[in-house]
Amino acid sequence: MSNIDRRTLVKGSLAAMMAGTAVSRSAFAQTAEPILLGVSGPLTGPNAQYGAQWKQGFDLALDEIHAAGGINGRKLAYQFEDSQSDPRQSVAIAQKFVSDPRIVMELGDFSSPASMAASPIYQRGGLVQFGFTNSHPDFTKGGDFMWSTSVSQADEQPLLASYAVRRLGLKKLAVLHLNTDWGRTSRDHFVKAAKEYGAEVAVTEGYIAEERDFRSTLVRVRDASPDGLILISYYSDGALIARQARQVGLKQTICAASSVYSPKFLELGGEAVEDVHLGTRYFPQDPRPEVRKFIEGFKAKYNGQEPDAFNAYSYDAMNMAAAVVKIGGTDRRAIRDAFAKVKDVSSVIYGKATFDLESRRVKGAMNAELVVRKGQFALWDGKPT
Amino acid sequence: MSSWLDHTINGLIVGNVYALVAVGLALIFGVSRLINFAQGSIYLVGAYIGWIAVVHLHTPLPLTIVVVAVASAIVGLIIERFGLRPLQNSVRIAPLLATIGISFVLDQLVMLIFSPNPRALPSQLPDVRFQVGGGTIGPLDLLIAGVGLTSALLLFVFLRYTKLGWAVRATAQDRDAAMQMGVDVNRVNQAVFGIAAALGGVSGMLVGMYYNQIDTAMSLQATLKGVVAEVVGGAGNVPGAVIGSLLLGLVESYGVAVLGTSYRNLFAFLLLVVVLVLRPNGLFTSARQAPPEPLTGTFIAPSRPVNIPRWALWGATAGFAVLPLFPVSFYVLQTLINAWLLGMLGLSLTLVAGTMGQVSLGHAALLAIGAYTSALLSLTLDVPAGLAVIGGGLMSAALGTLLISPSFRLRGHYVSIATLAIGEIVALVILNWESVTRGPIGISGIPPLSLFGYDLISPTSVYWFSLAVMVVLALLQGRLLGSHLGRSFRAIRDDDIAARAYGLSLNRYKSLAFIFGGFAAGISGGIAAHLYSYINHETFNTQQSILALTVVILGGLGNVVGAIVGSVALVGLPEMFRIAAEYRILIYGIVLLLLVRFRPQGLLGTV
Repeated sequence: MSNIDRRTLVKGSLAAMMAGTAVSRSAFAQTAEPILLGVSGPLTGPNAQYGAQWKQGFDLALDEIHAAGGINGRKLAYQFEDSQSDPRQSVAIAQKFVSDPRIVMELGDFSSPASMAASPIYQRGGLVQFGFTNSHPDFTKGGDFMWSTSVSQADEQPLLASYAVRRLGLKKLAVLHLNTDWGRTSRDHFVKAAKEYGAEVAVTEGYIAEERDFRSTLVRVRDASPDGLILISYYSDGALIARQARQVGLKQTICAASSVYSPKFLELGGEAVEDVHLGTRYFPQDPRPEVRKFIEGFKAKYNGQEPDAFNAYSYDAMNMAAAVVKIGGTDRRAIRDAFAKVKDVSSVIYGKATFDLESRRVKGAMNAELVVRKGQFALWDGKPT
Repeated sequence: MSSWLDHTINGLIVGNVYALVAVGLALIFGVSRLINFAQGSIYLVGAYIGWIAVVHLHTPLPLTIVVVAVASAIVGLIIERFGLRPLQNSVRIAPLLATIGISFVLDQLVMLIFSPNPRALPSQLPDVRFQVGGGTIGPLDLLIAGVGLTSALLLFVFLRYTKLGWAVRATAQDRDAAMQMGVDVNRVNQAVFGIAAALGGVSGMLVGMYYNQIDTAMSLQATLKGVVAEVVGGAGNVPGAVIGSLLLGLVESYGVAVLGTSYRNLFAFLLLVVVLVLRPNGLFTSARQAPPEPLTGTFIAPSRPVNIPRWALWGATAGFAVLPLFPVSFYVLQTLINAWLLGMLGLSLTLVAGTMGQVSLGHAALLAIGAYTSALLSLTLDVPAGLAVIGGGLMSAALGTLLISPSFRLRGHYVSIATLAIGEIVALVILNWESVTRGPIGISGIPPLSLFGYDLISPTSVYWFSLAVMVVLALLQGRLLGSHLGRSFRAIRDDDIAARAYGLSLNRYKSLAFIFGGFAAGISGGIAAHLYSYINHETFNTQQSILALTVVILGGLGNVVGAIVGSVALVGLPEMFRIAAEYRILIYGIVLLLLVRFRPQGLLGTV
């Protein structure tokens, strides 16, 4: 073992020497070379749409960061490597980033298998893995180089449960959830909170991500005669369920998790998503200055397109990365330590984001109770639907 | 009671949707004995052409259907002319691989042009709903049913009563005889691909309208369900495909009714396996019909393998062994580790598919069994990782062989479809058997590899470990191929009747091949589990099975060195194309197609 390690060290230092030439060259042009972040995420494959949304959020945040003078005069840039959400590729990318001295920290990956397979490499390589959509409860347990701004489902689901049970007065619930690590964790937190608030959970149904047909599931839901449907879904499957629920004649109140918050949900769902309630972290008319800046900046940059939840996550993540690099500089360890030092970073999701040092996550997500009215997301006015 | 009526109606509605794809698949299979994996991609293309027509050109529905049908038919004709016709006289497996490559290329093109974001495809029919049972059906349901039934009927009439139809059937029965009788086989193929593609495109559009949603991920799912429905009905049997689809829809719907949503696909694939085992020709094909697969080994044509001198192999092995001593980046080592792990899977599949002739499309299941066994052994029983990996290999060998054994009596494509189903079943059991596998939450905190008490953590040590394991497995397999056992395997592959007449017990030899292959794949999965530290049901998915098959065909069926060369190529190429970002899978697909076109027997040839 020690033998292997020594050889690795020798080899590692050889690599470092090779790389050293590149570093010293860039050292002369300190201000011209941008500070480079690595991003590992899906650009192709079944999750490609989320990678595309990340890019939009990143680019908007970078524009604003550079307009404000960059990181102490230097520019910030990212290198996006396509993992297809495949652990085989994300581990290779992890080694690539770890052995590239220009990369100061890493963002991503999207899915849990891809992210958490790469965690040991980032941890051992001493490069921060900043997972901003990684809600798997074990993600930050991978080591002290794993940090996450993903809203913990232990935080989010009680808010949704409170909206459904306390505010909307639903008493008997049917929960439909994506059968992924995210969906399962969310469901468990939701059910626990809903029961605490005094509601009964009549039926829970997990479905796989590729599912398109929910009619049979919805008949099961109907037979349980709930007075409300809870969707722990993404926007595309959420829209499908809402449409089919109306087609099989379910007229109950539908309440959805924040991940459906996307203009696509309205487009795909059409009339069927009218009056769907959803708990989100911000809303279009939100007066908070950071939200106004985000939404208006986003529309200006992308031809009037409305941003969605994943755009907001990646926008926040890039701003957080900038704040961390401002404190930590370009040293990888200093960057890890800077995560513990950043305070009250302006955030669309959290308002002000500060890491909890115990869990290496951020607590206290903002809450907004929305409803779809006339094909638009609007703040719920308290009127029953 | 009324909910059973609703479940029945829902099953029929979904079956309707499946039927549209299955009919196209059945038609192509009927003529060219080919599972067209590109059918789902044509379905995707049709959906997006429909989107352009509806949203940008504002065409009325009848015109939209015509536009989509014509455009999709053209795509189908291009595929037939440039993708498949050049492969006519090559190995039977080459067109199969070509359709996989074509589907990569088409899916990626659609994704690049239209972005991967899902789009709404508004239905152009009036939104009236008819009350049926507890739910409602709309005009689109009726239209889909109408299109499915009408096309099946038209095809039936076409095949039975027209001259070109006779030609199609003659070609399907005996290509050479048909040619001798003056049938223009190419024209028949063109006609079939054109019709099937038009149908596929229209069905993609209709299904898109039905769900008001189209996205680039719909292609693979459509192919999977279409294949299941088609085989249940009897491969190549057009009316059978429709009935098979409805049956599939019903079984799924009742499955959901009894056990819940997450068991849905489990029922679909169990239905397939049961049908294959009991009635391998499908439910609606008479037993009198000639066996749909040739009796002798034309499925895998022999070719002269490239002879690589022994010193060159040892030299290459030594070269890779000392590679970490040179200043190569960990990224290169990690990529090669991936290649070695895929290489073990490739060895396993090349033995089973190449040497034994059982082309498996569910090999990822063996990885998953090995990975879960190894992970659980080391986490819950504190077995050292090195032993746990071996345990994973043994479990994969045992369980894999047991699961696959019902399909031993099947031949050719049917083996592929059965293994595809078994692979999906294993993945779904992993998802649903939560008390053992922890379901979708997955297993985290799997300890790193260790050997004799030493942790193998650095990329260098993992590299050496995986290289060594792969080399040992490859040497064993090389010895096996040269032995009496290996010759028996090939005898069964080339002519199972002759082999049986010679006194070989087919099942026993097939079991032996799967035991050895399952062990290698299980080891690969076990190592991967300890390397990743986290696995869940998505880690080893269908794409991995298809990748493994690509490796094997690329390297040359049954060729040990070929499997390893293929792994290095297929892990390396996408990494090399990283610079091309979004375009890399497209480039990869094109390279794959070119390889199949110009070297269908694989880089190193069939052994």
